[in-house]
Formats: sequence, structure tokens, C-alpha cells
Amino acid sequence: MTAAFALSGVSKHYEDFALKDIDLHMPEGQVMGLVGVNGAGKTTLLRILSGLTRADTGSVEVLGHVMPADQVAAKKHIGIASEDMRLFKTQTLRWHMDFIRTIYPDWDEAYAQDLLRRFDLRAGQKLAGFSHGQRVKALLLLNFARRPRLLLLDEPTTGLDPVARDEVLQVLAEVLRDEARSVLFSSHNTQDIEQIADTISFVHQGRLLASKDKEVFIDEWRRILCQGTWEGAGDWPEIAAARRNGSMLELKVRQFSEAIIERLQAQGLEIRSTEAMSLEEIFVTTVRSGAAA
Amino acid sequence: MSAFEINTPVIRQLIVKDWILFQKQLALCVTAGIVALCLIGMAKGWSFYLGSLLLIIVLVSAACFSISTSMLVERKDQTLAFVMSLPVSPLDYYLAKLVGSLITFLAPFLVILVGTVAVILLTPLPDGLLMLALLLFGHVLLAYSVSLCVAMAVESEGWNIFAMVGSMVLINPMIMLIGQIKSISSHFEGDHVVWNAPAISILLTQLIVSIAVLLITGWVHTRKKSFY
Amino acid sequence: MNALEGNAVQATARFHYMDNLRALAMLSGVIFHAALAYSPLLHPFFPTADRAQSFVVDVGIWFLHLFRMPLFFVVAGFFACMLVQRRGLGGFFGNRLKRIALPFVIFWPLVHLALSWSTVHAAASVQHPSPMLVMIQQFMQMEDAPTLPPGTGHLWFLYYLMIFYVLIWSARSMGLQRLDDSLRKLGPIWHLGLLPLVLVPALAAVSAPHPAPESLLPQFWALGFYAPFFAYGYLLFGQEDWLARARRIAPWLLLASIALYAVFLQLLAGQTYDAEDPSASLALAVLEAYISVWMTLVCLVAGRALLNRSNRVLRYLADASYWTYIIHLPVLFAIQYALMDLDWHWGLKFSVALIATSGICLLSYPLVVRGRFLTALVGSRAPAASAVSG
Repeated sequence: MTAAFALSGVSKHYEDFALKDIDLHMPEGQVMGLVGVNGAGKTTLLRILSGLTRADTGSVEVLGHVMPADQVAAKKHIGIASEDMRLFKTQTLRWHMDFIRTIYPDWDEAYAQDLLRRFDLRAGQKLAGFSHGQRVKALLLLNFARRPRLLLLDEPTTGLDPVARDEVLQVLAEVLRDEARSVLFSSHNTQDIEQIADTISFVHQGRLLASKDKEVFIDEWRRILCQGTWEGAGDWPEIAAARRNGSMLELKVRQFSEAIIERLQAQGLEIRSTEAMSLEEIFVTTVRSGAAA
Repeated sequence: MSAFEINTPVIRQLIVKDWILFQKQLALCVTAGIVALCLIGMAKGWSFYLGSLLLIIVLVSAACFSISTSMLVERKDQTLAFVMSLPVSPLDYYLAKLVGSLITFLAPFLVILVGTVAVILLTPLPDGLLMLALLLFGHVLLAYSVSLCVAMAVESEGWNIFAMVGSMVLINPMIMLIGQIKSISSHFEGDHVVWNAPAISILLTQLIVSIAVLLITGWVHTRKKSFY
Repeated sequence: MNALEGNAVQATARFHYMDNLRALAMLSGVIFHAALAYSPLLHPFFPTADRAQSFVVDVGIWFLHLFRMPLFFVVAGFFACMLVQRRGLGGFFGNRLKRIALPFVIFWPLVHLALSWSTVHAAASVQHPSPMLVMIQQFMQMEDAPTLPPGTGHLWFLYYLMIFYVLIWSARSMGLQRLDDSLRKLGPIWHLGLLPLVLVPALAAVSAPHPAPESLLPQFWALGFYAPFFAYGYLLFGQEDWLARARRIAPWLLLASIALYAVFLQLLAGQTYDAEDPSASLALAVLEAYISVWMTLVCLVAGRALLNRSNRVLRYLADASYWTYIIHLPVLFAIQYALMDLDWHWGLKFSVALIATSGICLLSYPLVVRGRFLTALVGSRAPAASAVSG
């Protein structure tokens, strides 16, 4: 199976920001969530993948095509929607639909009509009159209706009201049922990512902190509440965070295993509970600890 | 597909798109052009000068509008990323803009140029005036090429406005400069067009520099790193 | 038969009267130009002006002159709208390029050459030359004769049609379609009472009767006078019921126009010609404006009532009228120059010139145009020329 994309040793330097040495790949048919705070480098990464920006070093391959040299061939099968990508204000959505249809032969007009209805958009309206949510939905419609093999979505749910967000996530979930389709989906909202992604990558300050199966993440991390005094928490690489609250000690542990429980007990700690963590907690802990997850 | 293969169908769609977006301004320019021709057609001294002035304004606005809608607004309104997300290479994009400009600017430019040549040669106006007209048209062409180049290469809106206004306004000193060159200006009132070395060398310089500027723009553009 | 062709046949069936009116406007142009040679009013200005002349000619042709081309432009606007709706702007311009621009580019130099040649020849050979021919003779003898800028001649209407087509695109691009509705909502009093006033500035800017705008540069007055008729025709498409409603008042408009024309002739007779400022008085311009609008409407109503049919003769005339109009002037001039030295009555000369010119032009249509390359430009393929507004 070809990779949906493969980045190796990719760097990109800006005056006040740098994306450093990224190695990341995604097999076709997967959904990857890219999680990071604002300014972490998600957008730069997506721009490099979509050919909008050239990397300074490293190699980029998308759907088997070397970027940016083969960008035309690659872009025929990539759908891109990002927050800072705008449509032509003076034209109607219908005009945009016709424009895209003339460029992509795979345009599915019936599906486009269905999306119009579900997104509650009016094709005859000029883009200037669209709200932020309608603009995002219009852009997604233009991408979805041509059924690209790889979708690169940069913060598609950011700034949407709850109803619009739900509409978008529902349609996205349907798109993802097609197993041949790959999606890279960035967000600082871990809930959305948790809902639909198979794989999750954490980006922070231009570096890739982790990239794993969602289930693996959830399996590997635990919050352990224990009672007792112990000063050596900082020395164990498995412990990403430790917080004392009276006589209680809260530990957030990566690469959890039963052996860790036994080792903690050996330190004289009494284990009160072991809980799975939400993706958001895992992400925040990873970012705070600064190390790889 | 290599970076230097050209994606003609998409280029065509991009040109059509630019044409549609530019249509309203072009319609205004063309209507103003017809009014200018009517003014010249009134065959009165004041109307002739007013008409010629309006014609120059139309020409300059067509140039500025075409650059502004196709490039500056595209960047300012953040539609450039949308366009570059289509299956196009930077070279395709450059060619689309170049050919689009040839249509949106050079079409009215040539119509007005031919009209002006016809008016000078077919009416009682002295034929020698043709050289002045050609040199001024040459200047507008050069100013347009420079503005287009700046628009493609420089993102700052301020520099772009400066390049457009500056290069077009230079038409005034250009008129004075030509007036100073006696070997050219002394023939304006004459009955024949005089093609002498100074005039031809200025015209050729304008033409060659225009073409060179456009080619350099293409070279710079295909080496650009970001398109959003 | 596909849907489009079906539509075309249906539309053709419905708009025979427009086809026939256009043919009438074109063919009456032959009459008009043939009669000019015998007009006392135009005697000093027309190359084929004859010694034989009559006041009767002036009474007839200047009336016709006030609404012949206005009627033509209404029909042209009507078919332009039909074509735009049926084929879109792209298809419209492709068609107009072939039917209007190309014939203009091809026939303008040919007509110009033929007219110049026969006029120069006449100036050298005619024994009883017109004042214009005398002037040309004098020019020919001058060493450094001033050359007149070439004009569009009687093909000026093609030149203006092209400008109007460009203006259709301009108006649509600038979103002026919304004006349609507001104009259509205006009642008949507005149309017939106040809209003619729009034409007054244009008509007051030129001499009365108004000249032909033959300059290669567009003329404000010609745009101001003919563009409203063209726009009116454009807006009339799809609203032909309006003509049915105007049917009752048409006879009154005809009578009123004739009455106004009598006043117009009176004023014209009292007018003193001023070479410095030949423009018409305001009163003359107002009269011209009302007569041209009212009579155009009378023609449209009458055409719809009487000419909304087709038979072999009408179809032949409709098909051949464009070709006839384009080539008639050089033919007519050659014949009239030949008649100049004969001592015939004006009526006889007029009839001979008219019949010979029409005969040659109409009969040459199947020989030169039909079934050949020129059909696509100035001819018509069966069933009729409804998609053509030339």
C-alpha cells in the first residue's frame, strides 16, 4: 500500500519560528489527527504537504508523488481546506462549484447537492454574505464533492458554533467510512480529534512529540493516585507529571504497565486508583513535560 | 509530470476565472473608452484633448485594475491559497496570470493603440505626432510590465501601489523628456512620421525591457517558496 | 430535431413580423437613397443630386427618414436579446462577429472603393454634374488636394451595432439588468410621452433632418439617438404583449405623427442654414423625437398585425434584404450617374434607378450568396433569418 504521505527530515525556518526535523508518515485509508497549540507548526506542516510552501530540507512525498516537483499530479487527488483559505467574495457558491467541476472530472454533483442541503447553504448566495461557519462549510463542500484521495484539513472545526461543528463532524465521519480515503486533520480541540482519528500526532514548538494509534495512546497513559511520601518521581522517565495534594500524590504515567504499579508500591506508596486519561490530558501533560510521549 | 510541464486546461480555467472577476472593471473601462472616442470624434479642440486625456486614464486604469484584481486582491483576500491548492504548478500560475494579463490589458491596449494610430494618420492631425503617441504607449506598456512584476514578486501592498502609481505617473516627465530631445520632438508637427535612431532606440528599449521584465518575473516566481 | 432547433422553429414562427419589419427597414433604405438624388433639400450635399427634382420627394423621404433606422435598431435590439438568451454572451458574440463584424470588414473597403471609383469617373465624365461632383472636380484639379478621412458610408449601422453589442456586455457586467424591470413597469404615457424627450439632446446636436453618422469615430448624438431604440427593442423581447396593448392607440399615433410632421416641414422651410452651427432648433428636435418614437411604434404594431406571416416571397425578401442593403449604394450610384445627363422626368429617373438597383441586388442574392461562403455572413439558411439581427 502506498503511503498517503511520508515526511522525512523536513525542516522549515521562518524568522520567529521553525519546523524542525519532522519524520512522519501515514498509510492510505487512515485518519490522522494533528494536535498542537496555536503556533505549534500544524499549519506549516499542512502547507508543506499541500505544496503551498516548500520545505527547506528533507523529503516530502504525497500519494506517491515527490513534492513540490510533482505537485500538479499530487494536487489532483488532494483536497485542502484551511482556516486562512478564502473563496472569491464577489462570486456565488454555485460559481465556485462550477469552477471546481471544470477542473476536477470526478466532481459528484448529486453529492454536492446533498451537502448543500445538509450544510444548509444557498448556492445562489455570494460568498461576501457568508458567515465564518458557512464559509468553512462551503470550502469543505467544494473539497468533499470531488472525492479526493487525501484530505488535508487545517482546523476545520475552529470557530464553528456547536450546530455547525456537529454538521461538519457528521459529514466528515461519513467521508471517513470510505476506507480508501485518507485524512489529516489538525485541531487544537482534542475532542474532535478523539471522535474521528485513528492515529494521533502531537506537535509542539515545531517538533513532533508523538505519533501513535489513538488506542495505543489511551492504553499507555494512566493517572495514578497514591498515598504516601516519595521525592523520587522526577527521576523516573515514565512519570510525565507529579503533583502533591496534601498526603495524596497524583502521577501521570506514560508507557504504563503493571510493573510500574509494583515498582511504586516498592517505594512505599499505597495505590488508591488507576484511571485512563483523556486525550486532552495526555496532550497537555506531554506538552508540559516537554519530552516525547 | 515534471515541474516544467504545462497544465493547459487548468491554466485556461484560471484565465476565465480572472476574466470573470475583472469583467466589471473592464466594462467600465471599455464604456469610458467609447466615451473618449466620442469626445475625440466631436472634432473640437477641447473635446480632442479631453478625449485623449480620458483615453490615457482608461489605459492606465485598465492596467492598474487588471493587476489589482488578478494579483493583489487575490493575495489580500486570501484566495491565492485556494487557487494554488488546485492542480497547478507555480509556472502554470505565472503563465495563467501572464496570458490573462495579455487578454485583459493588452486587448484594450492594442485596440486603443490601433485607434490612435488610425486617428492620427486618417485625420488632419499632423502624422508626425504618431511618434509621440508610440513612445507614450511604449511607456505605458513598460510601466505595466514593471507593476505586474512587482505584484508577483513583492507581497507588500504599499510597494505595489508605489510601483503602479509611480511608474504610470512617470508618463509626465517622459513627455517632458521627449520634448527635450529635439531630434524627436522637432518632427511632431510634421506631415511624416520620422523614424530616426533616437526614437527607434527608445521604442526598442521600452519593448525589450518590458519583455525582459516579464521573463524575469516568471523566473523569480517559479523559485518562490510560499503561495498563500 | 433537438430541443434547440425546436425552439428556433417555434421562435421563428412567432417572430415573422420582426423578420419582415427588418427587411422592410432595409429595403426602404434603397428607396430612401434612390430618392435623395431628387430631393431639393439635399441637392447641395449629395453626389448623385440630379437636375430633375421635386418637393414631393422631400415630403416623403424625410418622414421615412425619421423612423426607418429607429425601427431597424428596435428590431436589432429585439433579436440581440433573443440571441443572448438562447446562446449566452459567448455564443452571441461569436455569431455577431460572423454576421456583423466580418461583413463590415469585408464589404466596407469594397463599397468604399466602388463608390470612390464611380464618383471620380462621374466627376470626369458627367455633363450636368451635381454641386458635390463640381466640388470633387475642383479637388481633382488642385495640386495639394486635402484628403477627406474615410467614413463608414451607409454601412455605419454595422459599426454602431457592434458598439451596441459591446454595450450590452458592459451593461450586463455592471449589473444593469435590474434597470429592465423598472423601465418595464413604466406605463404607456411614460413610454410615449416622456421617453422621446431622452432623444431631444441628441437630435438638437445635429442638423435637421439628421445626417448619417459616417465618421470612423463614434458620435455622441448617434449613440444618444439610436441606442435608446436598440435598448427598447432589447427590453421588448419577451414583452411583445405590450404591442398588442398599444394596438388601440396606434392609429391615433399615426395621425398625430402626420400632424407633427406637417409642423416639422413648416419649421424646416423657415430654417436658415448656418454653416458654422448647423444644429437643429429645439422645436425641430422635439418634433423629430416624437415622430420617430411614435412612428416606430406604429410600424411595430402594424407589422405584428399585418406581417406576422411568411410565404415564399416574404421569405425571399427577408433573406435577401441584408445583402441587398450592403451592396445597393454602389449599384445605385453607378446607375444614377448614368441617368444624370438624360432629360427625363424625376419620377421616371427615380423609378428606373430604384427598379434596376433593387432588381440587380435582389436577383444577385441566389447567384452570389445563397449556398455559398457568403451565406454564413450575410445570407440566411432555411427556414428564416430570425437568429440574425443584421
